[in-house]
Amino acid sequence: MDLKNVIIRLSETPGASGCESRAALTALEMLREVCPGAEISGGNVIGKFGTHRDRVPSLVLDAHADQVGMIVTHISDGFIKVGNLGGLDRRLLPAQPVTIHGKKDIPGVICSVPPHLSDGEKVLKPGEVSIDAGLTQEEAESLIAPGDTVTFRVACRELSGGRITGGAMDDRVGIAAILRTLELLRGKETAFNVTVVFSAQEELGERGAKIAAFEIDPDIAIAVDVSFAYAKGEDKSKCGYLGKGPMIGISPSLSREISDDLIKTAQASDIPYQIEVMNGLTSTNADRYSVNRCGAKTCTVSIPLRNMHTPVEVADLRDIEMTARLLADYIVKGELQ
Amino acid sequence: MKELLKELCLLCGVSGNENAVREYIIDKIKDICEYSVDPLGSIICLKKGKRTPDKKLMICAHMDEVGFIVTSVSEDGTLSFGTVGGVDASVAIGRQVLVGERRLPGVVGSAAVHNLPTEERDKAPKIKDMYIDIGADSRDEALRLVSPGDCVYFVPDFEEMGESRVKCKAIDDRAGCAVMLRLMQEEHEYDTWYVFNVQEEIGLRGSGASAFSVAPDLAVVLEATTAADIDGVSGEKRVCALGSGPVVSFMDRSTVYDRELFRLAFDIAGKEGLPCQTKSLIAGGNDAGAIHISRKGVRTIAVSVPCRYLHSASCLADMNDIENTYRLVRSLTGGIYRL
Repeated sequence: MDLKNVIIRLSETPGASGCESRAALTALEMLREVCPGAEISGGNVIGKFGTHRDRVPSLVLDAHADQVGMIVTHISDGFIKVGNLGGLDRRLLPAQPVTIHGKKDIPGVICSVPPHLSDGEKVLKPGEVSIDAGLTQEEAESLIAPGDTVTFRVACRELSGGRITGGAMDDRVGIAAILRTLELLRGKETAFNVTVVFSAQEELGERGAKIAAFEIDPDIAIAVDVSFAYAKGEDKSKCGYLGKGPMIGISPSLSREISDDLIKTAQASDIPYQIEVMNGLTSTNADRYSVNRCGAKTCTVSIPLRNMHTPVEVADLRDIEMTARLLADYIVKGELQ
Repeated sequence: MKELLKELCLLCGVSGNENAVREYIIDKIKDICEYSVDPLGSIICLKKGKRTPDKKLMICAHMDEVGFIVTSVSEDGTLSFGTVGGVDASVAIGRQVLVGERRLPGVVGSAAVHNLPTEERDKAPKIKDMYIDIGADSRDEALRLVSPGDCVYFVPDFEEMGESRVKCKAIDDRAGCAVMLRLMQEEHEYDTWYVFNVQEEIGLRGSGASAFSVAPDLAVVLEATTAADIDGVSGEKRVCALGSGPVVSFMDRSTVYDRELFRLAFDIAGKEGLPCQTKSLIAGGNDAGAIHISRKGVRTIAVSVPCRYLHSASCLADMNDIENTYRLVRSLTGGIYRL
């Protein structure tokens, strides 16, 4: 598969939390090429990979299909008031181009109070964010209704050095990494019965993963998400680096056994990797799988990302390829203990 | 007019490097007027009319746009940058940009909001905390692609919105350039000077020099000006409104405008049934500030297109206002010699 184009297509298909259907359908269409029986269940894309055998541990590969965005709350004087879906950086909202997913996709710009009227220190508060779509009240009401979602209006672009930028790298790069993993696994014997989940509503508190975990009840779950890549202004001790491989999670809430197996796999296969140590919950879907039903062993494998939750998220294609290789090798080899 | 505006807005011309805009404009005007390029880069055109008037009229707009300039390249391959012209940090953060003559794609990045202390999340961002990422992984790699001093542009993205509105970077002041290019196509009764200025955004630099060269008696400055008729702003703080016609101000921060010209504009608008408005706040400034005190003084008026989100990648204007600006200025140039 052409990883870059898969990422671009996924990232440019909108799917704000709670309204993931377009992104989910695109991901489903791609998943069905390797998992023909895949379906959408409870908003989550779920597909069994290969033939599941008896007495083989089950493993879920999860990436979330939703992205941060906004939701229309009110229309006044043609301006569209919005609330946030997930954690947005309000500092970068002024004059930001957006798409309102109303009866059709409508371009808009987030209202920005000009400098002569603000003290220069002000950041839009939640509840103060409104969108200018160049519409009258009547036009707006005929096309847009409260509950419609809004996403950043940004095209993906390739940067130098194999990096790519877009508005929904989080977590479409995770979906791409899983699709690539399955491609690498094609025709190979696996140590697990693998089920893929492209989950809904992660950004609202991992809600889609909660019900997917219950439905599948896996023994092991790996959340393939993004994590912070170092750049100016970040704390080096809390970040990975772009281009240096997948970040394998270690945390009290994760299975150290799985973390160690992933590390050993990376070492044995000579795949570059980074360690991401957390001290409790991971703020990924792993937090839901681990306490599902009677519990599951979980781990995070994260793709380093700059500018998370902004229209200019930056990922490195090499990290996504290395993540897929790590996951594929682990799934072939299985538990090493 | 819309196509012309679009072509102009899509060109990259940050102050001090207006080359692409200048080349485009020269190509449009080279056969319809006499022109020269002054030492700073402004284009000075003389459109000959049927008659040479006693008083010299100059109509001008500026070619440059706000943007950024690369100041240094860091060890990790990211670029530090400064603003060129008044760009608020809040409309710089989280945008795609193009860097240098090769227009390399990049993004303006900063620390992820998750990792900011709570109190920082509600504080306006600062340019010094941002960087431009072109994808380079080291200083050497970056220096093979860019150099300090390279201009940085907002990614041009012209879009139509609603019934009559358009969104793009650089509507300030390509709208003025578009109006001028259209005016220049027409037969003129009187000789008229048209000037496309450089470096307005960094302090009205080009217009001072070109006004000295032309030495006009009367000047009409075509601009785009801040409209704040948006949600959350009311009353006089809205300054002016989209769809309410060209803006003719009596005063801004750089100029007290010629009273007679100000009245003339509203008289003409009234007679011709054109919408016309003034600013409800003394704010902003434009090339009139340099022109009206050029040499022994120049009687000056500014006619501006109201524009929301002025110095951002998402300037938003109404095509009807641009059309009416063109109509008003065309009538004004007819009436101005009667003063």
